[in-house]
Amino acid sequence: MSEDITFSIVGSGGDGAVVAGDLAAMACAAVGLHVIKTEAYGPQIRGGESSSTVRISPVPIAAQGDTIDALIVFKFADFARFRSEMMLSAGCIVLHEPDDAPPPELAAFRCTPVPFAQLAKDAGAPGAKNIVALGIFAAMFGLPLDSIRTAMRRRFRKRDASVIDANLRALDMGLQWNGGLQPAGVSFGGLKPAAPHLLMSGNEATAFAALHAGCSFFAGYPITPSTEILQLLGEWLPKIGGTCLQTEDELAAIGAVVGASFAGSKAMTATSGPGLSLMSEMLGLSSIAEIPSVVVNVQRGGPSTGIPTKSEQSDLFHAVYGGHGDMPRVVLACCDVEDAFHTTVDAFNIAEEFQLPVIVLSDQLIAQRRETIDSASLVHDVVRRDVPQEPDDSYRRYAMTDDGVSPMSVPGIAGGMYQTNGLEHDEEGRPSSMFITHERMNEKRYRKLDAVARKYPLFRRFGVSDPEVGILCWGSSAGPVAEAIERMNANDAGVAAFVPRILAPLPSRELQTFIDSCARIVIIELSFEQQFHRYLRSLVTLPRGIRVHARSGGKPLSVSEVIEATAVLEEVTA
Amino acid sequence: MSSYKTDLKPVWCPGCGDFAVLNAVHRALAAAGCEPHETILVSGIGCSSRLPGYVDTYGLNSLHGRALPIATGAKLAAPRMTVVAVGGDGDGLAIGGNHFMHAARRNVDIAYFMMDNEIYGLTKGQAGPTTPTGDRTKSTTYGNPDPAIDPCALAIACGASWVGRGFSGDVKGTTELMTRAIRHHGFAFLNILSPCVTWRGEEQHKEIRAKTRPVPPDHDATRRESALRFTDEQELVTTGVLYEVSRPTLLDELEDIERRARGTGPVPSRSDFLGAFAI
Repeated sequence: MSEDITFSIVGSGGDGAVVAGDLAAMACAAVGLHVIKTEAYGPQIRGGESSSTVRISPVPIAAQGDTIDALIVFKFADFARFRSEMMLSAGCIVLHEPDDAPPPELAAFRCTPVPFAQLAKDAGAPGAKNIVALGIFAAMFGLPLDSIRTAMRRRFRKRDASVIDANLRALDMGLQWNGGLQPAGVSFGGLKPAAPHLLMSGNEATAFAALHAGCSFFAGYPITPSTEILQLLGEWLPKIGGTCLQTEDELAAIGAVVGASFAGSKAMTATSGPGLSLMSEMLGLSSIAEIPSVVVNVQRGGPSTGIPTKSEQSDLFHAVYGGHGDMPRVVLACCDVEDAFHTTVDAFNIAEEFQLPVIVLSDQLIAQRRETIDSASLVHDVVRRDVPQEPDDSYRRYAMTDDGVSPMSVPGIAGGMYQTNGLEHDEEGRPSSMFITHERMNEKRYRKLDAVARKYPLFRRFGVSDPEVGILCWGSSAGPVAEAIERMNANDAGVAAFVPRILAPLPSRELQTFIDSCARIVIIELSFEQQFHRYLRSLVTLPRGIRVHARSGGKPLSVSEVIEATAVLEEVTA
Repeated sequence: MSSYKTDLKPVWCPGCGDFAVLNAVHRALAAAGCEPHETILVSGIGCSSRLPGYVDTYGLNSLHGRALPIATGAKLAAPRMTVVAVGGDGDGLAIGGNHFMHAARRNVDIAYFMMDNEIYGLTKGQAGPTTPTGDRTKSTTYGNPDPAIDPCALAIACGASWVGRGFSGDVKGTTELMTRAIRHHGFAFLNILSPCVTWRGEEQHKEIRAKTRPVPPDHDATRRESALRFTDEQELVTTGVLYEVSRPTLLDELEDIERRARGTGPVPSRSDFLGAFAI
């Protein structure tokens, strides 16, 4: 009997599927339950199909719901658009409007008609069929009712009291209708109240991290699925005396970041694949002129416009290799919402200390899902740039040092003036086209990466200490992989995973040690081209006979998929 | 006050108009009272974009077309600094044209000096956005098919609050215009005709000099229609302040936004921000 439940609501725009999911997530987080909530949308600006999936558990969880225990469908035509991305559990209950018959392929599930619209009308809240649905789920799973009502009052606080009352009646209507309906194999009786959690998305955690790190300048251009970072920092930065600029394009966004950083501010931009493509040239300037910059790239399906609303892990090559010339940069990758916070602060720390561009790879699945986190976990040391206070005549902006980092003067400091450029230059910043200068300066700039590698060998390792099977993955794949390992190891499968949180410079030594300790290796990623696999091949030694599970994004990686990918290996090698 | 000169020798060709522009920049910074360590020069790429290397302030010779976004970021991050962007016509109007429009519209408080030689000089003689129609250049063997842009007309149309035109052959006049541009509160655009002896020939300088006349004394620079009379000129080159109005700068707007965002309360704390995510 599982205490871990997942339910979904699917409807058209205006049906309120997403609001119902939000309310359930907020109510459960408020009583200390662990929640991961994901949403999916069609491409329409308004009125298109949307779905909201909420997974709730009394113990910590790392992935979105794998299979759905209960599903409410307001219109099967909308459901059809999501069908290939939604997996229903064997005992799944499917509730639908009486006049909208389920497609034949759902006959195997427990389909039950419910007059949602009529019940809402009867409650005196004709638009609240989503709240009726929430009531049905609440009764089905024993969700915390007081907390749901509190969440509703808060959500609708700007509406008339009569609207709130009508919605509360709609909730009761759903509660009464349910009549003991319960999905097979799921019980949610053992609710143990704990300390309330924060409910945050990856983009929200990223924006908060920028504040935490001391970022005072943000420039960005709207692009799905990173836009919330621009919106939040546009709201927050002016409150603390910082600046947020919405620019005319991504070229200007990263340009303004480099300008602000040159002038002494901690500065960041956020974008997605197409924007990162446009920023490539300026990241080269940030690298050669050694001006700190932070770019958060929230990955989506690509190339070109691709699938803007869905996740993929196919910007890896662009992040680690993109751009012309020999261009040292650092690439970090977050694994979940809380990690989006830590990774972003690390990005500022590394950029400021080592004066180079740092790209954070997030992805839509982390960025736009909401997840419960402990506010106490949102702490992280902050590093400042080495600025010479009273530079004298001997000050050289690009002075040779052991670790390649030269103190960086900023405008306003008398005696610290320097003229720099994207041309190759000498220690004083004067342009040079001589081979020897180019070689020495490349050495200097790349020495910084050695120092970063020593100081920031960031990775996560899950599973047994002496693994039979080792899984290599990155980014949001870490969640389903962690849960899959837990399940597999419950049957003594002897599985472990190594998840680098810094992709460039890769913690190769630690990774190689891990690989060498495993009898078999499985690589899991959401890139059709196998970018992660190919990248690893160029930096570490992989054994023969590895298994690669790589596919397109557009559908989240599931726990069962990871287990299957790992098990196939065992069949092959057995 | 410093001479603002660095010991770096310019890469420009003998006779290049940019020498005179550089001379005027040195003089204007002094005239406007800019402390070298409180001045930032930003440029794009091109012959003229080498200029920040020859001025002893904080300087950044950046990417082709991107001087203005960088200058905007620098000004917003360090509002006390004097920020001057410099570059050529190709840099500012072709590859960087989009930024020109938006910097002008935002009225960012920077001065922008465009050295306009009607040609791509660094890549050795291709037609640019200010090259006259029909001109034969290295890239337009049978004549340039495109009409030339008047940068001043564009700046006025896009909302620049100060627009002037100068000529490198008149260092004194150019210095004065630069000084006023630096002192102007808002986006000040100065187009400086700066002949390219190598790719436009010795004649270009003479032709411009022959056409040049100062803006008439009765010109009302606060009126857009009046200013536009001195754009897209064929037989004349009118120099001076063509347009000058006062309107809020981007920094003024952002300060206002800060007041609205903060209200009268104290600066929010970490827990105030996290409160939005507590249930």
